[in-house]
Amino acid sequence: MVVLVIGGSGSGKSEYAEEYIITRFPGRKKYYIATMQVFDKEGQAKIERHRKLRSGKGFLTIEQPVSIEQALSKMERLPEAENIALLECMSNLVANEMFSTKPPRPCEQVTERIMQGIRALDKGLKHLVIVTNNVFEDGILYDETTLEYMRAMGNVNERLAVMADRVIEVVAGIPVTIKERK
Amino acid sequence: MRLVIGGYAQGKLNYVLRSYQGDHYMVTDAAIPSEGQLQEAVAENKKIIINHFHNWVRERISKRGNPEQEISSLLENDPEIIIISDEIGNGIVPVDVFEREYRERTGRILVNLADRAEEVVRVICGIGQKIK
Repeated sequence: MVVLVIGGSGSGKSEYAEEYIITRFPGRKKYYIATMQVFDKEGQAKIERHRKLRSGKGFLTIEQPVSIEQALSKMERLPEAENIALLECMSNLVANEMFSTKPPRPCEQVTERIMQGIRALDKGLKHLVIVTNNVFEDGILYDETTLEYMRAMGNVNERLAVMADRVIEVVAGIPVTIKERK
Repeated sequence: MRLVIGGYAQGKLNYVLRSYQGDHYMVTDAAIPSEGQLQEAVAENKKIIINHFHNWVRERISKRGNPEQEISSLLENDPEIIIISDEIGNGIVPVDVFEREYRERTGRILVNLADRAEEVVRVICGIGQKIK
């Protein structure tokens, strides 16, 4: 089962997603698939903040900046796909998949690679919560490279939402349900 | 305290004013009320509306103030206050350090305010959606 959590910067989407998993699966082992790569002090501080939020909550961290399906092989094999994971964050995964090659991979390729990976994760896991970012509403006309990135994010989000049983937008820390599969 | 959020030019102030027809109110623009304004509001039974709250946060950050603490102490006595803010976090993470900090801190402040608010409304196309 896939749950998609979307929000802007500082919206409280991570806190919500973590809380979501913790309250539904108390006392169980949970994987945290981290996609962010650290290049500087600010990135380091961001990761520290997230680590603190997660500490003592039973998350095991797997660093997986690209080829997201490989996170599966780093998990303990539980019978019948009993594993639970939180993937954070799609915006970094899309950036990493796009810009890890020169020239950057085009939008369609990025979308395809990521969706293949997510389908594999979904198959191998009992519950997958994905955090993604709303990068679409600042009204700035960006350069072509950034627009290509935004298109990839949009495509990925759209396809994830189709897969997802539940899509939740977090607005100022408040969850607003966008989709709920009955 | 009530919180009203939404995108740029979505009719947030109009939405608030519509729901306060007949009431006395004072509107501060990109500023929190001064001590004098607070006293006036109490004396004349006026509701306080802080418009463009995000611009106040931006200003305080740029002047190396502490907007988190300043707004928190204003709300301590639970005054009847409506805070209107743009949602500014739904975009590409900016390259500029200050712009990034502004978005991140404003977002966190709004999460905190939403948590404390009796009511949170998101306005789009002039229409308010009560989300809390």
